[in-house]
Amino acid sequence: MIKFNNVFKRYSGAKDILQNVSFEIHSGELVFVTGSSGAGKSTLLKLISAIEKPSSGDIIFENQNLSDLRGVDMPYLRRKFGMIFQDHKLLFDRNCFENVALPLAINDTTSIDISRRVRAALNKVGLLEKEKLMPITLSGGEQQRLAIARAIVSRPAILIADEPTANLDKKYADEIMNIFYSFQQVGVTVIISSHEAPKSPIRFKEFHLIHGELIKPQDVSLLS
Amino acid sequence: MFHYFHNHIQAFLRAVIRIKSNWPSSIIMILVIGITLCLPATGFLLVENASQLSSKIEYEAEISIFLDQTISQDQINFIGSALKQTSSIEKVNFEPKIRAWEKLQEKLKINSLDAGISENPLPDAFFVTLNTLDNNIVESLHKDIKNLEGVKEVIIDSGWIKKLRSILYLIKVGLLILGTLLAMVLIVVIGNTIRLQTLTYQNEIEVSRLIGATDSFIQRPFIYTGIFYGLGGSLVTGGLLTVILELFNRVAFKFESILGGLIMLTNLPPSKYIFITIFAMALGLLASYFSASRSIKTI
Repeated sequence: MIKFNNVFKRYSGAKDILQNVSFEIHSGELVFVTGSSGAGKSTLLKLISAIEKPSSGDIIFENQNLSDLRGVDMPYLRRKFGMIFQDHKLLFDRNCFENVALPLAINDTTSIDISRRVRAALNKVGLLEKEKLMPITLSGGEQQRLAIARAIVSRPAILIADEPTANLDKKYADEIMNIFYSFQQVGVTVIISSHEAPKSPIRFKEFHLIHGELIKPQDVSLLS
Repeated sequence: MFHYFHNHIQAFLRAVIRIKSNWPSSIIMILVIGITLCLPATGFLLVENASQLSSKIEYEAEISIFLDQTISQDQINFIGSALKQTSSIEKVNFEPKIRAWEKLQEKLKINSLDAGISENPLPDAFFVTLNTLDNNIVESLHKDIKNLEGVKEVIIDSGWIKKLRSILYLIKVGLLILGTLLAMVLIVVIGNTIRLQTLTYQNEIEVSRLIGATDSFIQRPFIYTGIFYGLGGSLVTGGLLTVILELFNRVAFKFESILGGLIMLTNLPPSKYIFITIFAMALGLLASYFSASRSIKTI
């Protein structure tokens, strides 16, 4: 589904953020990208979701080399991903319902469908009763769940989350992780960056990064 | 097709929400456009009224018909009755050459013997006043009179009107240039406002782009905002013109007795107001399109 072949990423005037990264992610897998701060986790996720382009190497998504993709096709590619950002990137001048509805509005969904699907997504993350509230009134954990609702509302094949539990206490973090696990269980490919891999009740793959280099990908067993 | 219209309705509503949420700056922008467009529009209003006034003056224009020196009295009578029977002629005044010569002598204070002129050099002449404004009728009349036997020269005495019309035409050209310059100023002002708005909505633009919005999707509400500004500005222009007209006419009414007649300005026809509205909306569209597309690319 997603394949990295000898990918390098550097910004002008800086050393390589990612060095010679190669791996493959199959459909329906749960993947943790782990490493300390500055290891290149966020950059790796940005490359997967085509927010950034590699300095060299190939990124293949569904048999399409992303380097060959034209700028005008990029928005249509991004619609295949559900993105959850470290800072949530919620719109604070819109209520919860409108925030979640944004990807559907972009995707030409009809008003009736938008209403139905937004409520289903909010229900999934336990925020249905707060659909009319503004995001500023939500707690950190609720804001993260709202961001998850926005990511899943267009039913993407791949969910990408950049440190989704970084600023949450254990209770909220467990709740958020359980939501991700439930999506993986129904066939969604889930890629999560985190400082360390959690003790997961399900099998996952871990990509550990040290100073931009990928330590050999490894399968991690249940509650390892 | 449904999605296309649905997208536009969404963008339209988003623009309305943005204008509503930034209403103070939106009102200022609309006033700026309205007042700026009002300047050339008022100029056109005055020129249009002056043009109408010049058309009315032409109503009293004369045609001078000079006859041959050798013309017989019968021929003079025939021409006189022919002129009187012409429907487009209001008044016919015949001036015999003897009377014209006397008038000239009186004016120059000479007599024929002193001047060494043995005979009257002036011709008999008709001076007719027309009752039509139609140039085609005037031209056709000029041609018909010229073809009459015994007529030597026909002069349409409206040269000064032509001069007035030329001046009015030049003023119109000047106003057109002024209008073009002000339109360019408006494009810059609207464009800058839209650019500032894109910065205000930077977060929304970033998020929209990250979740797969195309540039045209992001751009659309800004374009509608520009069109709204143009529409609002044209309504302000219309309102201001009406107020200016009303004030002028009230003042003119007070001065009727002093001026010896009522000089009333008439409003521009609806077609001109439609033109101003379409023009202002087109300016808003152009400015917002170029500004938003350029600004969005840098975010």
